[in-house]
Amino acid sequence: MQRSVAQVAQWILLGLAAIIVVLLVTNEEYRLNFLSGPAIVKGALVAAIGIGIVLTYKGAGVINFANGAIAMYCAYFYALLRRDGDFLVPPLPNPLVLIEGPVNWFRESGDYIDLPDWPTRISVGPNMQVIPAVLLTLLFGFVFGLVLHFVIFRPLRAAPMLAKVVASIGLLLLLQAIVVRRFGSVAATVPKLYDTQPILWEFPWGIRFTREQLFVVILVLIVTAALWALFRFARFGLATRAASENEKGAVVLGFSPDMLAGTNWVLSTMLAAMFGMVAASADSSVDPVTITLLVIPALSAVLVGNLSSFWITALAAFLISMARPVILFAGTKSWFPHSGTIATPGVGELLPFIVIVLVLFLRGDALPTRGAISAGRLPFAPTPGRMSLRVVGPIAIAVTFVALLLVATPSGRLGITNTLVGIVISLSFVVLTGFVGQISLAQLVLAGVSGFLLSKFAEEQNIPFPISPLLAAAGATLVGLLVAIPALRVRGVNLAIVTFAFAVAMQEFMFKNPSINGGLNGSRVRAPGPIDPLKTVAISRGEGVNPWFGIFCLAVAAGSCYAIANIRRSATGRKFLATRSNERAAAAAGVNVSATKLLAFGTAAFVAGIAGALSSYRFGTVNPEYFGGLQSLTFFAFAYLGGISGVSGAVAAGFLVPGGVVFTILDSVFGVPGEFAPILGGLGLIFTAIRNPEGIAGGFRVSYEQMRSKRRDQPDEPTAVTSSRAPEPEVVP
Amino acid sequence: MTLLTTTNMAVTFGGLRAVDDVDFEVRPGQLVGLIGPNGAGKTTFIDGITGFVHTSGRIDFDGADISTMSAHQRARRGLGRTWQSLELFDDLTVRENLEVAAERQSWSSFLLDFVRPTRPRDRAAVDFALDVLDIADLAGRFPTEISQGQRKLVSAARALAAQPKLVCMDEPAAGLDTEESLELGRRLQRIIDAGMTIFLVDHDMGLVLNICDYIYVIEFGRKIAEGTPAQVKRDPAVIEAYLGSGAGGVS
Repeated sequence: MQRSVAQVAQWILLGLAAIIVVLLVTNEEYRLNFLSGPAIVKGALVAAIGIGIVLTYKGAGVINFANGAIAMYCAYFYALLRRDGDFLVPPLPNPLVLIEGPVNWFRESGDYIDLPDWPTRISVGPNMQVIPAVLLTLLFGFVFGLVLHFVIFRPLRAAPMLAKVVASIGLLLLLQAIVVRRFGSVAATVPKLYDTQPILWEFPWGIRFTREQLFVVILVLIVTAALWALFRFARFGLATRAASENEKGAVVLGFSPDMLAGTNWVLSTMLAAMFGMVAASADSSVDPVTITLLVIPALSAVLVGNLSSFWITALAAFLISMARPVILFAGTKSWFPHSGTIATPGVGELLPFIVIVLVLFLRGDALPTRGAISAGRLPFAPTPGRMSLRVVGPIAIAVTFVALLLVATPSGRLGITNTLVGIVISLSFVVLTGFVGQISLAQLVLAGVSGFLLSKFAEEQNIPFPISPLLAAAGATLVGLLVAIPALRVRGVNLAIVTFAFAVAMQEFMFKNPSINGGLNGSRVRAPGPIDPLKTVAISRGEGVNPWFGIFCLAVAAGSCYAIANIRRSATGRKFLATRSNERAAAAAGVNVSATKLLAFGTAAFVAGIAGALSSYRFGTVNPEYFGGLQSLTFFAFAYLGGISGVSGAVAAGFLVPGGVVFTILDSVFGVPGEFAPILGGLGLIFTAIRNPEGIAGGFRVSYEQMRSKRRDQPDEPTAVTSSRAPEPEVVP
Repeated sequence: MTLLTTTNMAVTFGGLRAVDDVDFEVRPGQLVGLIGPNGAGKTTFIDGITGFVHTSGRIDFDGADISTMSAHQRARRGLGRTWQSLELFDDLTVRENLEVAAERQSWSSFLLDFVRPTRPRDRAAVDFALDVLDIADLAGRFPTEISQGQRKLVSAARALAAQPKLVCMDEPAAGLDTEESLELGRRLQRIIDAGMTIFLVDHDMGLVLNICDYIYVIEFGRKIAEGTPAQVKRDPAVIEAYLGSGAGGVS
């Protein structure tokens, strides 16, 4: 049966390829769109980001989600040198803020103290010429690579793969947040790398490129060839390959894996710096988002290249990018699927996603083969104790209840509500990643699906309250099962990338589709009667969330926590954990691994759907800013930060999410404005991934158990502690 | 009446025939052994029977052809196995490891798990497996906290907890000393007495010759001999495979 699935995938792929080739050869319009200059340049940039990711994966075992963000940051560095002759100084958290905030708390406005800040830029003279600016930016890339290696990723060398992914997500958020803070979200102009008139070069078949476009493409091809040769023939490349296969073996042969990883990081950041400049110069502008998000198609290309081949990655990057204008052009035809008056959006994203899933399906197996490398241990997932279920839980609920009704200010209520919604979203990650070891970066998009469905059910179909959100969550469950299909044969970080690609495609499809998002009016979601956050105490009047809506969120969050804790204690939970631990052994024990994964994806999607409904009620509309692929990335990172493998971790994550209780307190007590939340969040993610790979809740548990075993004073029984940080079992040959 | 029969079973990796047209059968209540030198294809043979590698040929188990079934379906029909590298679930306690194998999931039980996770269940199979291998005192520990020898017993107990008709054991004696190996033999006998059938794969000739009722010998994926321990011990092909050519006279 396994063979036949792979065969179907193979035939579909071949069929698609045949259709595309026929279209391109026979139809001039398609051909010209396929070979358009801007698309090829975009392909080149995607390829550059992609091979940078391959480089760091080979060298350091890190899938660098931040590679686009690094390129973007370097582009800003270059732009500032060229325009103003200023150095961009990396921001460091100013410790004086912690004094400034509380002091100003007791002062009248106008009488605030203002302690000195860090400089944000240092002038080195008037605007700089091209060559010194380029060299300085490359030097910056060099130093940046060293810093990334020594400060972030070397300490994470032995950490689980997930911790590395989280650190790179933290880096992405941090770099983006810094740039937004410094330069705002709007694009900044960037002087060209060379100021010549665009020269058009004519080719047969009416194809035209400018000199700059050709230059970029050739540069990427040269870099790809050089890296391929480096890894194919040079001692350094061979050593890196050896070290990635077997670190100990490489040490025995006299290589330093550390040195190799550092060199690969530097190579990769210098590449990112170079192509960040090229990209900004090609557009004549740079903004915090465009280059950063090149990482999405780049990751897809990396997957096609199986995380190892530079050439296939580059080729896939070109094809994915060049297919875009073809699909846009096809959208003008009458046969193309339309929604309303416009061509259905998202097809351009969905098509490469489908191709990637098919490619991975071809390569994957329903069960891992003998000796397959696992993605590394996940944090220990303890059974929730009676104490936490019967005492700690109810106390927490009671405290929150009182706080919501009696104590909290409007902004405090908003923070608590955000935290409660964040807890439910994190629970969805806990079920999937913490219990079953499947990484999905699409959960927030599933929440969005539920939001849109809720709007349709409640506003258009007039389905009454408790039924409509449940139906909406059920709808999200169905889409979640769709995400699960690749998971049946794709594992580990590959699965993370696939689900991320799905999230981005789905996001385009939903949020830009007027027949789904309600067009200009948006998708209204009104909560019924007393829990309506808008009717009773309007957010727009600055009075924050209706306390009863907070209570409603509390009930939902508590119920979800209780249900998920129960799952961990049950037979289903044992099957989840067994699947996470060892798919082959689970199958031998009679566990249907595929069905178990589907069950987990379905459960997680339902929980995400509930969170989406809650969140939509809170805004009164389905808020597109809350439900995208990047938001999924952010929430996944916070869920990991809190502790991915248990309900207590989800609760901790809820406190930390943007807009949650912790940031509300930082804002209102210490005067740290909300804009700093992403910077602190990014820093916190990196720091926690390094210091505490088990997450915050896991860290608490470990120290609690250490304390308890000390008090018991039984030196011959350190088992309670070792259980949480279990050593790798010795491998029997 | 046979419990398990393979007919022309073969496993191919690329151009290598790791298991080459092996015919073999196990009768209920027997302790059947499979021996062979390192790399003879013993583990691949178990993988083939239990559904972890793709096979050609026919595999009949308990009255049905199972060769196209997936691994978990074969397990649920009563074909259990252990692993050479044990492959315990490190995140679950010893008892939970066994419960995974003993419990069968259904839709209603999944939904009920959200509200009543610790409702009483039939624990007889788990308790039986713990008792027969004498590891009830380890039930609350994690696999990472116990010794390698104890882990081996847990691995066997997990296979037994599913109450299989046939257990395939992959090198259970590897790394045990002579005394421990004898003790293992006694425990296996208790399993047979409890009505299960064992298919034992090992390269420890001593253990296999001592306790098995019937023995198959393979080398380079091919069956080179079969018979009772006494017959196999005298077989010239076996002696050559184990001791090299010309050693026949020595024994």
